[in-house]
Amino acid sequence: MVDVNKIRFGALVREISVQQRQISFNSLVPVIEQDACGNSLPWQPGKLRVRPVDVYRILEPYVKVRLLEQIKAVLPLAAYLVLFQLFILRQNVTDSWLITAGLFSVIVGLMFFMEGLKIGFMPLGETIGTVLPQKSRLPVVLMLVFLLGISVTFAEPAIGALKNAGSTVNVEKAPYLYAMLNDWSGIFVLIVGIGVGLAAVLGTLRFIYGWSLKPFIYLGLLPTIALTIYIMGDPELSKILGLAWDCGAITTGPVTVPLVMSLGIGIAAAAGKGHSSLSGFGIVTLASMFPIAGAQVLALYMAQTTTPEAIIEGATAAGLAVDSAFWYKETPWVEIILGIRAIVPLVVFLLFIMLYVLHEKIKNPRVMAYGILLCVLGMIMFNLGLSYGLARLGGQSGGLVPAAFTNIDMVTGSPLYAYLLGIFIALAFSWLLGFGATLAEPALNALGMTVENLTNGAFKKSVLMYAVSFGVACGIAVGVLKIIYAIPIGYLLVPGYAMAVILTALSSEEFVNIAWDGAGVTTGPVTVPLVLAMGLGFGDAVGAVEGFGILTMASIGPIITVLSTGLWIRWKIRRRHEEEEEPLEQTEAAVP
Amino acid sequence: MSKKEITVLTDVALITCIVQRGLADDIIRAAQDAGAQGATVYYARGSGVRERLGALGLAIEVEKEVINIIVATDQIDHVFEKMHVTGKLDTPGMGFMYVTPLEKAATYIPHEIVMKLSR
Repeated sequence: MVDVNKIRFGALVREISVQQRQISFNSLVPVIEQDACGNSLPWQPGKLRVRPVDVYRILEPYVKVRLLEQIKAVLPLAAYLVLFQLFILRQNVTDSWLITAGLFSVIVGLMFFMEGLKIGFMPLGETIGTVLPQKSRLPVVLMLVFLLGISVTFAEPAIGALKNAGSTVNVEKAPYLYAMLNDWSGIFVLIVGIGVGLAAVLGTLRFIYGWSLKPFIYLGLLPTIALTIYIMGDPELSKILGLAWDCGAITTGPVTVPLVMSLGIGIAAAAGKGHSSLSGFGIVTLASMFPIAGAQVLALYMAQTTTPEAIIEGATAAGLAVDSAFWYKETPWVEIILGIRAIVPLVVFLLFIMLYVLHEKIKNPRVMAYGILLCVLGMIMFNLGLSYGLARLGGQSGGLVPAAFTNIDMVTGSPLYAYLLGIFIALAFSWLLGFGATLAEPALNALGMTVENLTNGAFKKSVLMYAVSFGVACGIAVGVLKIIYAIPIGYLLVPGYAMAVILTALSSEEFVNIAWDGAGVTTGPVTVPLVLAMGLGFGDAVGAVEGFGILTMASIGPIITVLSTGLWIRWKIRRRHEEEEEPLEQTEAAVP
Repeated sequence: MSKKEITVLTDVALITCIVQRGLADDIIRAAQDAGAQGATVYYARGSGVRERLGALGLAIEVEKEVINIIVATDQIDHVFEKMHVTGKLDTPGMGFMYVTPLEKAATYIPHEIVMKLSR
C-alpha cells in the first residue's frame, strides 16, 4: 500500500531539479540509403556547424589550461625579481612596459611552442621510434639518432638565450669567449649538438643493453675534468670554462628530452628490452656532459687557429660596420629568422626519415602542419620576449643587486647596505631565486612523482623536490660568490664533482640515475635565460670578466644533495630493519 | 555446512560519463557533493564529434577519461544533473553521459547499518 501523503524522494528531486527535455535518439540518427541492389551505402558524417558561443566554450578551457601553465612558470619569478628590486634595492624597474610586453610574449610563445611540439612533433617522434628499429639495422638507427641529437639542439629555445648573451660579452676582456658566442656561434652550437647526438647514441645503447650509468659517469667526467684542468693553465682560454660548463645545463630542455626519449623508448621496446622504468633516465646526464667536453675541444681548436688580437681586431671592425646594418639584422626580423632556422631543420630531418627511410605515410598532414606552424610562431614570440622581457629583466636585476654591497654608478647612495650585510642580501636573493624557480618548475613535479613510484614510496615526492631545489639554490648562491670574488671555476668544479663521484660510488643505481638527471630535467626554458641574464648582468656590474658558471653550479648542487638524501634514506631504512629484527631474534633465542 | 549470508543492494544505477582526459576530477567532486559515494575512472580513447568539428577539433583531447559512478535510484537525477552542468556536456565535443539500470550490487556496508535496515 502506498501512503498518499508520502512521495518518493527521487520523485521530489525530479520535481525540484532542472527540467529535462526529452528527445528520442531515433530522431537524430541518419537514414542509411541503399543503392539499386539493396546494399546499404556507408554514411558520411557531415561537418558540424557550431554557434560562436560554442566556439568560445570549446576554446576557453583549452587556452586557459595551457596559458595558466606558462603563467605559473613565468610570473612568480618575474614578480620576485621586480619586488626585490623595488623594496630591497629601492630602484624602479626601467622599461617596465617593454618588459611586461616581453614577458607576455614569452608566456604566449611558450604556450604555442609547447602545444605545437605536442601535436606536431611528438607523434612524428613516436612513430619513428617504433617503426625505425623494425625497418633498419642498428648502425643505421644509431646514425639517425645521432643526427637527430644535432638537429634537436638547434631547436632548443634556451640555445637562443645563449646566443643572445653573446652580445653582452666584452671582446677586449675575454676575446675567446666573445668569438665563441659571435663569430663561431654556429660551429659552437653544432659542436654542442654533436655532443648531444653522441649522448643520444650511447643512451640508446644503454636502453637496449641495460648498462649501468655509473661507468658512463666516470668515463664521461674524466676527460671533461682533465680538459678543464688543462684549459685552466691558459689565462686567456680559462675564461670560456664557465660557458662550456653552462651549456651542459642549457642543452637539456623541453625539446631534446622528450624527443630523444621517445625515440629511445621505441627502440628499446622493439629490442624487447628496457622495461625497467629506470632506463629512461641517463640520456639527460650524458647529454649534459658531452657538450661540455665538445665546447672545451672547440676552444682549444680556436686557440690553435686564431689569436686574441685577431679576434679583437675583427670585432672592432665589425663594430664600425654596424652602421650599415642589413634589414635582416634588425630586431623583429632577426628573431623571426632565428625561429625559422631553429625549427625548420628539425622538421625537414624528421620528414626525410619518415618519407625516404621508412616509407611511412604521415597520418594527419594538416594537423602536423598546424603543429609545426605553432612551433615556429611560438619560437619567434619566445625569442622576441626573451630579448625584450626575460633577458632585460634578469640583466637589470643582476646588475642592480651588487648595489647592495658595492658602489654602482646607476644607483645613487650605493652601497645601500654595509658590506657584509650587502653580500648576505645578494646571496640570499640568489638562493631564494634558485629555490623558488626550481620548486615551481613543472618538470620537477613530474620527476618527483616518477621517483616516488620507482622507489615504492621510500623517496617521497616532496623530499626529492626540496632536495633538488635546495641543491639548485645553494649552487646558484655559490655561483654568485664565484662571480663576486672571481674564483676560477675549476676550483669549484673539481671538488664538487669529486664529491659527486664519491657519493655516486656509494649510492645504488636508481639513486644515481635520479640524482644525475634531476638537475638537467629541472632547468627549464624560463629559468635558464633568466639566471643566465642575471649572472651576466651581475658580472658586468661587479666588473667580472664573464658571468657564466652559475648554471654549472646549479647543476652540481642537486646531484650532491639528492645523492646524500638517497644515502640518508637508505641508512634510515636499514636502521629501522635492524630495530625490527633485533627483538625478533631475542624472542627466537628465548623460545628453544 | 554453515550458512553464510551476504548483503546485496537493490535500487542501484550506474552513471557513466566520458570526458576529455584531466577533467574527471572536477566532475567527480561535483557528483560527490551531490551525494555520490565514490567513483571509478579509467582511460580510453574516443572519437565522434571531434572529427566533425574541423580545425576546432584540435582543441579537443582524443584521450578520454571514463567515470563510473554507482548511485541509488533516488539520486540519479540530482547527480546526473550536477555532473552534466560541471562537465559542460552541452558543448560540442565535451563528452557523453548515460545511466544504466543495475539489478543488484554489493560492497562493504557498515555492520550497524546492515543490522538497522535488515530488520
